[in-house]
Amino acid sequence: MGTLFITVREALRYKGREGQWLWALHRISGLGILFYLIIHVYDMSLAYFNVPVHEEMIALFKTPLFSVLELALAALLIFHAVNGVRVAILDLRPEMWANQQKVTRISLIVTAILAAPTIVIMIIYTLNANFGPVASAVGR
Amino acid sequence: MKVHFKIKRFNPEKDKKPYWGEYDVEADESDRVLDALQTVKWDIDGTLNFRRSCAHGICGSDAMRINGRNALACKLLIRDAVQGGKITIEPILGLPVIKDLIVDMEPFFAHYRTVMPFLINNTTPGERERLQSPEDRERYDDSTKCILCACCTTSCPSFWARGDYVGPAAIVQAHRFIFDSRDQGAAERLKVLGEPDGVWRCRTVFNCTDVCPRDIQVTRVIGEVKAALITGKID
Repeated sequence: MGTLFITVREALRYKGREGQWLWALHRISGLGILFYLIIHVYDMSLAYFNVPVHEEMIALFKTPLFSVLELALAALLIFHAVNGVRVAILDLRPEMWANQQKVTRISLIVTAILAAPTIVIMIIYTLNANFGPVASAVGR
Repeated sequence: MKVHFKIKRFNPEKDKKPYWGEYDVEADESDRVLDALQTVKWDIDGTLNFRRSCAHGICGSDAMRINGRNALACKLLIRDAVQGGKITIEPILGLPVIKDLIVDMEPFFAHYRTVMPFLINNTTPGERERLQSPEDRERYDDSTKCILCACCTTSCPSFWARGDYVGPAAIVQAHRFIFDSRDQGAAERLKVLGEPDGVWRCRTVFNCTDVCPRDIQVTRVIGEVKAALITGKID
């Protein structure tokens, strides 16, 4: 068995605390962001090399499914950034170890505060783009 | 009370893959998990293998994963371990299993040796011991408590993913000398810990700190070594 498989399996089985779950989520969000960046760079390169396919992809990205995925991407991006700051602070200020639960709570609250308006704005935009008049009544 | 034990068994000479051995043990809730393991070995199944030596939390021989978390079997009481009348025990993860709960500790000790866990001082000591103020001694007191049980290193996801990572225990041992005012080998140790498989593989997960049977603030110790590498200062 590869170490990757063992690490994933044991990260689910081992009874760590919040630090382990934040580490796992940080990895997952990092992979999600990397996946998005690969698609994004590929799509943008098509704007130069193959315009019709690029336009098809842009149309695909505007569908409701991709709109929902974009909401998840925004949430993951904000979590990844805030959690990265949390890890850096704990690395540079090791004496804060005793407050790790508090630091975890604060980082999740900051993530929620930053993610909530972003997601609301994105939802309104998506509704406007897909169901114009209905969204106008709700959002503006 | 009756406790149902589920113990991961593996004999490489007989078994193709590990299996769960199940045993019912009559134990007092103030007994230690080690006592119950000895009851299994002595009274139920003599083929069960596990390490233990001092049995009082000093030698660090009986590190194992108990109900999903690393611990010393001799320090954990039945009443603190039991969940719904059951206790599940597995070998610590990331080191090759020799038999049942016994793992090969050699890779762990190989990492330990890389940080040069001994005093380096090329000056002549003189007729007396090298003196040190209480404040200087206090600076690294926490990291002197390590008993090399491997609970920390084998609870670390970075170590599971990459066995070449020196691991928390070796970093704690390095810290014990890096911050010792009598030692002159800090630069050599920091060079080892500044390598890709050194201290930077730590992802600040805190599993090591949570399981240390000696209550060493392992992640804090690692953080201090990281800070020494970043700033170039040992204070």
